[in-house]
Amino acid sequence: MSARDLGSATAAPPSGAAPLGFRLPPRTGRLVLWSVRTMAVVVLAAFALTTPGFLTAGSLLPMLNTMSFVGCVAVGMTFITLSGNIMSFSLGATLSATTIVFVAGGLSLGVWGGLAAAFAFSMALSGAQGWLIGYFRANPIIVTMAALALITGLATYFTGGKGLYPRAGQLDFLKEGRIGPVPLPLAAFLVTVALGQFILSFTRFGRHLYMVGSNRRAAEAAGIEGWRTVSLAYVAAGLCTAISAVLMAARYSSGDMSQGAGYEYQAISAVLVGGTAIQGGEGSAVRTLFGALVISVVEGLLVLNGFNTQMQYFLIGVIVLGVIMLQTVGGRR
Amino acid sequence: MRAALERRLGNPTWRAFVLLVVIVALLAVADQGRGRFLNANTAFSVLQQFATIGPVALALGLTMIIGEYDISVGGMLGLAGCVAVLVGNSDPLLGVVAALAVGMASGAIQGAIMNWLGLSSLGVTLGGLLTLSGLSYVLTGNTSIGFDNMDIAMLMNQPFLGFVSVRNAAAIAVFVVAAVVFARTRIGRDVVATGSERRAAMVAGVPVARIVVGVFMMSGMLTALAGALLSFSLAAASPIALADALVPATAAAIIGGVSLSGGKGTPVGIAGGVLVLCVLRSGLIAIGVAPYVHYVVTGGVLFTVALLDAPDLRRRRLALSRALGRDAAAMVE
Repeated sequence: MSARDLGSATAAPPSGAAPLGFRLPPRTGRLVLWSVRTMAVVVLAAFALTTPGFLTAGSLLPMLNTMSFVGCVAVGMTFITLSGNIMSFSLGATLSATTIVFVAGGLSLGVWGGLAAAFAFSMALSGAQGWLIGYFRANPIIVTMAALALITGLATYFTGGKGLYPRAGQLDFLKEGRIGPVPLPLAAFLVTVALGQFILSFTRFGRHLYMVGSNRRAAEAAGIEGWRTVSLAYVAAGLCTAISAVLMAARYSSGDMSQGAGYEYQAISAVLVGGTAIQGGEGSAVRTLFGALVISVVEGLLVLNGFNTQMQYFLIGVIVLGVIMLQTVGGRR
Repeated sequence: MRAALERRLGNPTWRAFVLLVVIVALLAVADQGRGRFLNANTAFSVLQQFATIGPVALALGLTMIIGEYDISVGGMLGLAGCVAVLVGNSDPLLGVVAALAVGMASGAIQGAIMNWLGLSSLGVTLGGLLTLSGLSYVLTGNTSIGFDNMDIAMLMNQPFLGFVSVRNAAAIAVFVVAAVVFARTRIGRDVVATGSERRAAMVAGVPVARIVVGVFMMSGMLTALAGALLSFSLAAASPIALADALVPATAAAIIGGVSLSGGKGTPVGIAGGVLVLCVLRSGLIAIGVAPYVHYVVTGGVLFTVALLDAPDLRRRRLALSRALGRDAAAMVE
């Protein structure tokens, strides 16, 4: 396919004119896909049951809590992927910049002022990129890369490359807060998933998002203003990223540009492992929750079975590659 | 004479060089004749940066010319450095060969997957990026590893003839070969044909599948060369590289006249684009401007190109100006 179409979510199969490649008949394909999924879950469950110390509250809760920070960004990324714009390269930098805005706002305006500033900043930043991509159909890869470079440069200018620290104890309620037995970040992640899924399933914007993502031209012919849907998808991504930014600033008691480094790749991994289609139009927030869960269960099991951290990175990469290849087998084309 | 000049300016390959001349002139003026910019030191620093970004931009540019996009260069750059240092500690030449082999294999595998399953390069190379960088974590054991052969390390950074070094001579040689192959052989025409209209190219007898695999193999090898020589010159390799090279390389290719929609661009143009970025970065540092400025400039350039290339720009601009005109008229009344 021509790269101009990369972001515009036309229904043309990728590498358009090339032979369509190996395809199974749809029914066999779905069968293969579901058996692979079931097998993966069974294998993971078997490992989880046989790994001593994995299925304990002391091991599971911290694992789920750590997952929440990337998880929120991943739910945001889901909106972008669903809209047919693959991924945003700037969500990690947006997260970092938002931690700075939150801490700076907290110092001058108080915590609630900081919260408002952080959410407004992140949504506006991501939404502006969405507008360029939706309204002018500018290429989503280039626009978000440009944003990545601009955010990095401007943040260095404003902070002088140093971190910003909140007043002692100012953010402790976010760091140590619990709702019942559930730590606040995990609760926030679950709420984000629920809210995201509600928006996708039960609002007009959600329905439009699936239509625009699977075929923008057809959606526009049906009277949907595609650019509004795409812009809103990026605003939603900014909202989810801000949730993660606020929690991370509290967790590490700082706002600096290293906070979200590499988060865009971790987030898109969770989205794709969850089974959201990279060409857009098919997927959900709940799938992303499962994707994040699978990744962190794999990581947790590897650690407890004596594998080192580096093995995790490699295995996650292989899993993502495998999931992308599997999509052609069971995907609706 | 004038017509010839206009033809040259209209040609995107030449536009990069015109931009280069303008930037050199501006920086020379900004230097106020203090000799900080126009000297052999700056030229050397420009060429050393060219040696890092150049081959990666050429790699990415070639995949963009066939209408694809190789995200995995971000992972390949780091992995090649690790392989080159690990193998090269006993025999540096063998280290470079090993890195090139890894690059070739990675490109061949990814290209074959794309052809076999008819998948888009974005998905496959995103999986590739994660897998390759995971692999470099595994190989290095998640630490920075040193390169003991200081003679080779010194040689990489040793200027001779004023501003030539082994490292930048290798990069320049690669560009010369690519330019000759591109302009004088059938391969060059086949690559452009694959990118501009793949179906037509296939009907006309272009071996499209082989071109795709070949270009991705070249992409892997070019990136591997840059990565290997870079870590030799740093006397160290570490797995943390991910996408640091992706943004400047994309920017360079685009400034050099490569279009994301495929079928446009030449190695000479890409070289011009890389030089623009390198001169800008070294020049700004030489005249004492803070280093973050080049991020902002890179981001600005990328934004501009993304907007100028946006398929809906003209339509939307008209709509916007009409709407604004109506508002202005309403206000006057």
